[in-house]
Amino acid sequence: MKTIVRLAGIIILLWAAGMADNAQESQADHAVVNFSNPAKPGKVEVDISEGSITVRGYEGKDVIIDARWRERVLTEKEQEPEAALAEKGEELDQEELARKKAQAEKAKGMKMIEVESMGLTIEEEENVIQVNAEEGKRAVDLVIQVPFSTSLRLSCRDDERGVTVDRVDGEIEVDTSDGPIILTNVSGPVVADSSDGEIKAVFGKVTPGKPMSFSAMDGDIDITLPLDVKASLKIKTDEGQIYTDFDVRLTPSQQKKEEDERKEGGGYRVAFEKVTLGLINGGGVEIQLTTYEGNIYVRKAK
Amino acid sequence: MKCEQTREKSADYLAGELDEKSLAEVRAHLADCPACREELEGLSAIWTKLGVLPKEQPSASLRSRFYEMLEAYKEGMEKERARLDLGRNLSRWLGRLMPRKPAYQIALSLVLIAAGLGSGYLLSVRSRSAARTEVAGLKGEVDDMRRIVAVSLLKQASPSERLMGVSWSAQLDRPGDEIIAALLDTLNQDPNVNVRLAAVDALYLFYNHPEVKDGLVRSLSGQTSPLVQLSLIDLLVEIRERRAVEALERLIQDHDLNPKVKKRAEMGLTQLS
Repeated sequence: MKTIVRLAGIIILLWAAGMADNAQESQADHAVVNFSNPAKPGKVEVDISEGSITVRGYEGKDVIIDARWRERVLTEKEQEPEAALAEKGEELDQEELARKKAQAEKAKGMKMIEVESMGLTIEEEENVIQVNAEEGKRAVDLVIQVPFSTSLRLSCRDDERGVTVDRVDGEIEVDTSDGPIILTNVSGPVVADSSDGEIKAVFGKVTPGKPMSFSAMDGDIDITLPLDVKASLKIKTDEGQIYTDFDVRLTPSQQKKEEDERKEGGGYRVAFEKVTLGLINGGGVEIQLTTYEGNIYVRKAK
Repeated sequence: MKCEQTREKSADYLAGELDEKSLAEVRAHLADCPACREELEGLSAIWTKLGVLPKEQPSASLRSRFYEMLEAYKEGMEKERARLDLGRNLSRWLGRLMPRKPAYQIALSLVLIAAGLGSGYLLSVRSRSAARTEVAGLKGEVDDMRRIVAVSLLKQASPSERLMGVSWSAQLDRPGDEIIAALLDTLNQDPNVNVRLAAVDALYLFYNHPEVKDGLVRSLSGQTSPLVQLSLIDLLVEIRERRAVEALERLIQDHDLNPKVKKRAEMGLTQLS
């Protein structure tokens, strides 16, 4: 059954003539969405371009979404319209320039009213809740509470606050471009990647038989696993270092290429793949860790 | 009725399947024996809990995957059944031949063992190669099943399952065109960076396959994730794929290219030229 819950708010802030202050309160949206079938684990997918995502597991059956919109960052152009116009006078063509000048004239003596469409849409279909924020001018900080068994797919770009998840037992798929990814009290499987941020994951327990993978271009990867975990690590890093306090049994990489053309007058060449394979407690869950510059830390849970 | 007998009947008692006479006996014993009463109460609690466990719901794709696997298995079983029927008739006939007296049975067994050892030794060479073909045949069947499962896993919504699909594909002895195409598809289309990275590694193992080198070169221009680009460049350089030179040159021209990737691409160019 298709249930569409749509939240699109248009908020108009009216300032009394006497208020000189331009300080805006951040606006908050609140929604409670339930899964079509609460008895089965559901999935929450969030895709925002600017902002942060925080997800917490809790004991209920519904998903509670709080969205806090951040203050709009006024661009220079808006703060000093005339100065900017003068600066850019040569770049804009004459028509454009004339139009903007006319508009500035009309607005003289008045304050700008913020008309912001929140642009947050929430849809639920067959136990999958999708939360999307339009690419607008304002960044949004989402705080979502989900039932413990929920699976997540979170995507957040262009922002330094990144993604935080705590106490969720389902599968977690996360990607960020700038922000960090911080997961605590999760049991996996986790598939995470970040371009510039760091990735940190603390597992309460690890679901056996489900492969995991972490990749970070610039940041470090820091994962904490339970003492008795059975894991097979596959680690690749270009310039980073690998640290662990587990007893890891390194196994030889099978990816070795040998070329022997000496009989045909050629040369001999052996190339080893730059991958490190290690087994913890005899091996088990496949965990792949890839970085370029960042270090990789595999810690024992204390 | 004693405790021992009550214990034997406890399962039927809980299931409500005792006849009247036994039921009365059990009840009479329980009235006198507190130990058995306690034991039965504990069992009864577990019994109720078992009843309220929610039944696990399998995913939708499980059904189709299962039927595919079943088909593959059934084909194998058909061959088995012919052999089994023959075996059953044979064993029944042999049973009639067995002597009654234990002494004669032992004698017969010893004779048979001696005969078996003797002929086994004589036939050992011949049977070893027969076994090898059988094992190869079995491996082929396992490979077929693995192929079906791998292709199905690669299409799942869960990235962890897709990772498993790549991993299973990598373990095939002879991947075949379908798997290669599926892996290249994953490399080019999968929305998850980690899955694409895993696909590069898997394709590395099959670089000798005709479609792979070509597919890898073509894939380079479409990749946007720096980690995948790096991995792909490394692979192309390592397998000395000179056709990648053009793709690398084009890549370097891209303004949005990550500077670290650019550096690696330039190094790769010098190595390949």
